[in-house]
Amino acid sequence: MNLNYSDEQLMLQDQIAKFCSSDYPFDKREKIIEDNFGHSPEIWNQFAELGWLALPFSEKNGGLDFGPIELSILFEEFGKALMVEPYLSTVVMSGYLLDNSSVNCSELIEQIISGAVHVSTAYAEPASGYAYESPQTQLTNGLLNGSKSIVLNGKYAQYFIVTAMDGSNLKIALVDASAEGVSINSFRTFDGQTCSDVTFENVSVGDEAMLYVGEDAINALNNMIKYATLCDSAEAVGCMSEALKKTVEYTKERQQFGVPISSFQVLQHRMVEMFMEAEISKSLLVKTMLQINSNDEEAEKTLSSLKAQVGKSGKFVGQEAVQLHGGMGVSNEMSIGHYLKRMTSIDSQFGNRSYHVKKFMSL
Amino acid sequence: MDIDFSKEDLAFRDEVRDFLANKYPKHVKEKQEQGISLSKQDMIDWHKSLYEQGWAGYNWPVEYGGTGWSPVQIYIFQNELAHAQCPTILPFGLNMVGPVIYTFGNQEQKDKFLPDILQFNTWWCQGYSEPGSGSDLASLKTKAVKEGDHYIVNGSKTWTTLAQNADWIFCLVRTETTQKKQEGISFLLIDMSTPGIEVKPIITIDGDHEVNSVFFTDVKVPVENLIGEEGQGWTYAKFLLAHERFGIAGVPNQIFNLKRLKEVTKGRIDADLEREIAEYEIELNALEFTELRSLAALANGSHPGAESSILKIKGTELQQWLSDIFVRSAGQFILPYEGPDGFGNNALPSGPDYSYSAVARYFNFRKTSIYGGSNEIQKNIIAKAILGV
Repeated sequence: MNLNYSDEQLMLQDQIAKFCSSDYPFDKREKIIEDNFGHSPEIWNQFAELGWLALPFSEKNGGLDFGPIELSILFEEFGKALMVEPYLSTVVMSGYLLDNSSVNCSELIEQIISGAVHVSTAYAEPASGYAYESPQTQLTNGLLNGSKSIVLNGKYAQYFIVTAMDGSNLKIALVDASAEGVSINSFRTFDGQTCSDVTFENVSVGDEAMLYVGEDAINALNNMIKYATLCDSAEAVGCMSEALKKTVEYTKERQQFGVPISSFQVLQHRMVEMFMEAEISKSLLVKTMLQINSNDEEAEKTLSSLKAQVGKSGKFVGQEAVQLHGGMGVSNEMSIGHYLKRMTSIDSQFGNRSYHVKKFMSL
Repeated sequence: MDIDFSKEDLAFRDEVRDFLANKYPKHVKEKQEQGISLSKQDMIDWHKSLYEQGWAGYNWPVEYGGTGWSPVQIYIFQNELAHAQCPTILPFGLNMVGPVIYTFGNQEQKDKFLPDILQFNTWWCQGYSEPGSGSDLASLKTKAVKEGDHYIVNGSKTWTTLAQNADWIFCLVRTETTQKKQEGISFLLIDMSTPGIEVKPIITIDGDHEVNSVFFTDVKVPVENLIGEEGQGWTYAKFLLAHERFGIAGVPNQIFNLKRLKEVTKGRIDADLEREIAEYEIELNALEFTELRSLAALANGSHPGAESSILKIKGTELQQWLSDIFVRSAGQFILPYEGPDGFGNNALPSGPDYSYSAVARYFNFRKTSIYGGSNEIQKNIIAKAILGV
């Protein structure tokens, strides 16, 4: 057993951390959200130049073939910096489905890696729970009909990857966002991203666009959700450690009653609890990134423990970080409240704590 | 002991219901029911309707134009208002500065300010916290220096709720630098239109503009606006804080929101969340009866003391818990935000229609364990005043 990052992984971590602190300070992030709905083509191009957009793709499709450890490193740093660029939707989720399809998608993947194209996966629907294997959207006789919800980054997507049923068969198809019959309503999200409601009305889908059918489609969908869950959880772990760091710094600076408030034992204990929550979450993250590719029940169980734990720990750390900042904690100008927002958002996606506790019990 | 309302109390309840059915302004009622935020004028209309009914001073003694109601009547009144989804009765004039003026002010001040507070001709805000003085409020630095028949005020206040609408602000200011920091504080009423006052918005994490920074640069305040004695401001401030904490538990609103939660989540949440809602409800019942016990003690002539700290802590914890349950009941559909700076398209996002307000309330309510004396400070008060440690 070896639980240390390799030199190469440490270099990657260092590179991302440096980029985030120099090119993605909080005030710049806020400006990007305000002016351009959370996506900055400039930042995205830098991602492309740094090779990050190629990270998880297989070598045959021009990627770097990096796995869950590298993705976790990336997202942990993103969490610290409150990154809102649509890496999860375009590269991780859509990227996984394109990279692993038996249909050759290398041309589109090349465009993603170069930063030219965004692709969003439309898996959730207005009536969805957290299981997505039986959507109400229909794809019969080459025509797609139905409505999708909370499609991440739908505003910037040139393509959608859509789940739909053909009889009792799940299908996953690639659809041009500008195709006839596609209508999009986009919304800001409370954590600085965008998401969309997308409706498909008799949109024609050719055989060449059918990425997965039947059992393959179910497996691909579940794997995609699995990696997205890992990335979101890693991001939450990054959020926690940074929110704790900022809180410790703040309580050392903030003077009340003639002393720094960090000298009060009641606050010290609260920060120690935040620290322990962040640490146990990180432990499950490490366990998960080492197990996730084994595709067995044990790995699924570990992933559910991770997501359940970051739901609980993230809420605790986020709420306490705000509380210990006092009024400053609820001020939108300060970054600290945004960690609570992001962790609230993360718990709500890909199964919240309650869902994953139950899933853990069922496995 | 008797848990039932008397015949008189029930008759009183019907009277309140009659008011709500017939005299509660319709345009306010409609906006409240549709979840549309109220304008300044709506708030004024709402308060004026209470005044016209003779109920604005629902917690004031009769001699100052109040109702002189018993604690049970106040309880019934607040409950009925919450169930009818009425807006909050703004506390700054009626619950805060009003009682300070009629308790510590002189006759001239009572005549000048109390009628306008009752009639809601003046909107008040509270100038307590400062950037460097939150939990340690007594360390406040805003200075008032006496020059002839005026005080010259310099400094800044922060987290000032709805200062953007206010005509007047009541301020704690330092009139003297003393050994004991509490002794140099005075209580001053300041007209917001006085030159030298600047109000800057603070946007909170729910995206709303509710609180502000208020800056004072050489603001001239007539000496007759000093309440009570110079240097006694801390005594008045403590009196006011005890009143502020009372009612901060928000029990009637929580009962209403619980009912609403059950309605909107019917058939769409699992057994785990149903169980959690039940657990919340048990604690809410306990909180409600804790408040009733305090009311009973008040009716017997005791002043609100450290017991109000219990209501503040438990009340805000439960409010935050309820807002969290609301958020989780909407699951993944909480993401889209329909705030004022959305895309401006007319379509609403799919998913339950209460999602956005639930998320906004969840983030907004983080303030409740911070304001009015943080919950950590309240625990210090209970430890000292009740446990004697």
